[in-house]
Amino acid sequence: MSTKTETPVKKKNQKKIQCFWSWVIGSVILRLIIIYFPKNLNLSSRPEVSTPLTSIRRLAEGYWLKQSSMSPYAGSMYHGSPLLLTLLGPLTVKRIEGQPDHLLCSLVFVIADVVTAMLICAAGKKLQAAYSSSLQSIGLHHLSEDSDILPSGDFAALLYLWNPFTIVACVGLSTSAIENLMVVVTLYGACARLAPLAAFGWVMATHLSLYPAILIIPVILLFGYGPDAPPRKLFRQRTNLEVDDSASGDRSCLEDELVNEKRMLNVFSWRPVVLFLFWALLWSSYVLVLCGIYVQQHSGLQEMFKSTYGFILTIQDLSPNIGVFWYFFAEVFDFFRSFFLIVFHGNILLMILPLALRLNHRPCFLAFVYIVLSSMLKSYPSVGDSALYLGLLGLFAYELKDMQFSFFLFSGYVGVSLLSPVMHNLWIWRGTGNANFYFATAIGYACLQVLYLFSLISGPLLVLILLLSLFSLLLFLN
Amino acid sequence: MHTNNWAVLVCTSRFWFNYRHMANTLSLYRTVKRLGIPDERIILMLADDMACNARNKYPAQVFNNENHRLNLYGDNVEVDYRGYEVNVENFMRVLTGRHENAVPRSKRLLSDEGSHILLYMTGHGGDEFLKFQDSEELQSHDLADVVKQMKEKHRFKELLIMVDTCQASTLFSQLHSPGVLAIGSSMKGQNSYSHHLDPDVGVSVVDRFTFYTLAFFERLNIYDNASLSSLFNSYNPNLLMSTAYYRMDLYQRHLEEVPVTNFFGSVMETIHTDSAYRSQSNKKFGGPEIKMPLDQSISDNDRRILRNSVDEDQPNKLSTEENFHGVGQLWNTIISKVNTFESADTFVCYGLGSMVPLLIISVWLSS
Repeated sequence: MSTKTETPVKKKNQKKIQCFWSWVIGSVILRLIIIYFPKNLNLSSRPEVSTPLTSIRRLAEGYWLKQSSMSPYAGSMYHGSPLLLTLLGPLTVKRIEGQPDHLLCSLVFVIADVVTAMLICAAGKKLQAAYSSSLQSIGLHHLSEDSDILPSGDFAALLYLWNPFTIVACVGLSTSAIENLMVVVTLYGACARLAPLAAFGWVMATHLSLYPAILIIPVILLFGYGPDAPPRKLFRQRTNLEVDDSASGDRSCLEDELVNEKRMLNVFSWRPVVLFLFWALLWSSYVLVLCGIYVQQHSGLQEMFKSTYGFILTIQDLSPNIGVFWYFFAEVFDFFRSFFLIVFHGNILLMILPLALRLNHRPCFLAFVYIVLSSMLKSYPSVGDSALYLGLLGLFAYELKDMQFSFFLFSGYVGVSLLSPVMHNLWIWRGTGNANFYFATAIGYACLQVLYLFSLISGPLLVLILLLSLFSLLLFLN
Repeated sequence: MHTNNWAVLVCTSRFWFNYRHMANTLSLYRTVKRLGIPDERIILMLADDMACNARNKYPAQVFNNENHRLNLYGDNVEVDYRGYEVNVENFMRVLTGRHENAVPRSKRLLSDEGSHILLYMTGHGGDEFLKFQDSEELQSHDLADVVKQMKEKHRFKELLIMVDTCQASTLFSQLHSPGVLAIGSSMKGQNSYSHHLDPDVGVSVVDRFTFYTLAFFERLNIYDNASLSSLFNSYNPNLLMSTAYYRMDLYQRHLEEVPVTNFFGSVMETIHTDSAYRSQSNKKFGGPEIKMPLDQSISDNDRRILRNSVDEDQPNKLSTEENFHGVGQLWNTIISKVNTFESADTFVCYGLGSMVPLLIISVWLSS
């Protein structure tokens, strides 16, 4: 019986993998086709795609400033990492005869996307292995073998590659492709329990944009507990059932089993965590030394931190983007500016702890929720950020198959992505609209993300998050 | 230290028959601009009633020679004080810098303690006075007072006064401020004459003293370093029909060492530094050393100002060094090692590149 069920499953898996590679190559070809359109279809000038943190034009400007022996942060154009300047700066200048400009940069981003997809696939495989082993420990292994489970890793990788947001962010030459790569490296390293890799990814992701720093909590939990497991209650229920069934059996034997299982489940191993922290320290000092050498001629690390982290935290640039902060901070009085900055950044910080307490047994899912949170509430969001969490959704697709509002969310995303450029055009180019038109789509987008977030998480946490987000929305509308 | 050049060119006459005074001033204006002083640093005071005068056969054109080769009014002439604004009060306000609040910056002499100023005056003058537009006069003690005020307010480092009028050298007889050099076209009791009459325009078009000054300068460009002594010695009393008298008792430097472009052009001393241009905050790691030019003598004022700025840096340096002594030493060793590479950028490139194999090795080791 088992052999009969195994071979069709294997065939299906093999068939899926063949199609998988063709889909991957197809997405790469699509990106290359769009790159060859004149000037990348002007996607790099859209505010939804390129923010002051991720724009390639600002990177080219920073590189030119560096080449003219000035600090790359002079004039408040470039706000990214000096290491990105070293990597991408020379590529923005190189021109190949007969090819479109920025071809080399586009190739870098395409490669980053493909590597991200491969890592998502590998992380998905690790998660599935952990899931099936935890099912085995309960004794429900036959469930996973019988059902036609598609490998969630491949599904998530293809979802990430073919998401229009990802394609637009890649072709629009937004450096969020590299930020997403680093975040996924962190996740994969943590799932596979490779401390140097996870530490490298975390340090680089935090260095490039500040917000992945909150991922340290799920990464530590991943190193301590291992990848996602069902709640402990389920295990205790199972063992209790077994005890009831074999009431006549040897008491001591069962007690031993109980004790063994409990020890297996509740242990939080500190050793991998300490190793991870050590590697994180090593990589961060390496990165800081490199950055310090790069900027020491002009200004020093202090100016670098002021221009990168300080810029993100104090929201100095109020040009329109798909977030909600620019509109609000354009009208707030200077006296209250620091207060509202604390409120808005505290919005993320206050949600970290409750989510961690609730979801500590599913650290990968916790990381995913943190990513959604940070791309929703960060100071300069772009579609590249939402591309990441929409892709990672595929990893948890089977746990979320009864997600509420899924059709409403899908049509909402489509609607916002179509309306937002139209409103921008009406406001800026034709002059027949005003900022409220564009801000309305930004608010709609924020509401969509809020709805998405609490359709992911069910339970009493839902009410808490709903209340918090409504509160913040009321503040915006004021 | 000599940091900038200013020119104040004043024509004190009006009316058609004083065509040559305006031509004098415009010729000097053209020369000074040609040798490098920009319009922002020229104060031109003219009655400006020649070019568009009803009696001008060549409208909007002013010549300084009967061959009409140069139109002095052609390109880009910016007159700062014109018509009845050229009076003694405005002249003295310009030099002393004591203006009303509403006077725009283009009409102010914004010089500082590093400025070399050329003051050229032409018109009708006499024994110890200069006539302004047929209604006022500037006396020699007025001029001496103005220059004394300028010196007290550090409004110039060196001043060259050039006067082309009758009995010109009496105008600066009362000067006693140091750093002033003055030359006049004639001595007491002598007249200064015009050079030639232009039969087509109908009036004399240039004065002798200015004509021979221009003849000297037309041979020069901005790179020449002809000295002031060669300029002063080029005036031939027979050709001028007067004695060009110059006064250098208030001027410490030797005239052979001073290039004419120190006053008539805008040529600065260049200071060579080996390192690239660094910003202020990097003083801790040793900024570029400014090599003082040894041949230029620095007056006491400048030395005092320079010493103050150096003293300000010292306490800052000491305190920061004490705080970060250990880290700073380590950092300095890293920086010195980095500087063995051609540039820090390639080092960072290599560092970035070596991160990848490090990562791979560490992952392989830990798996």
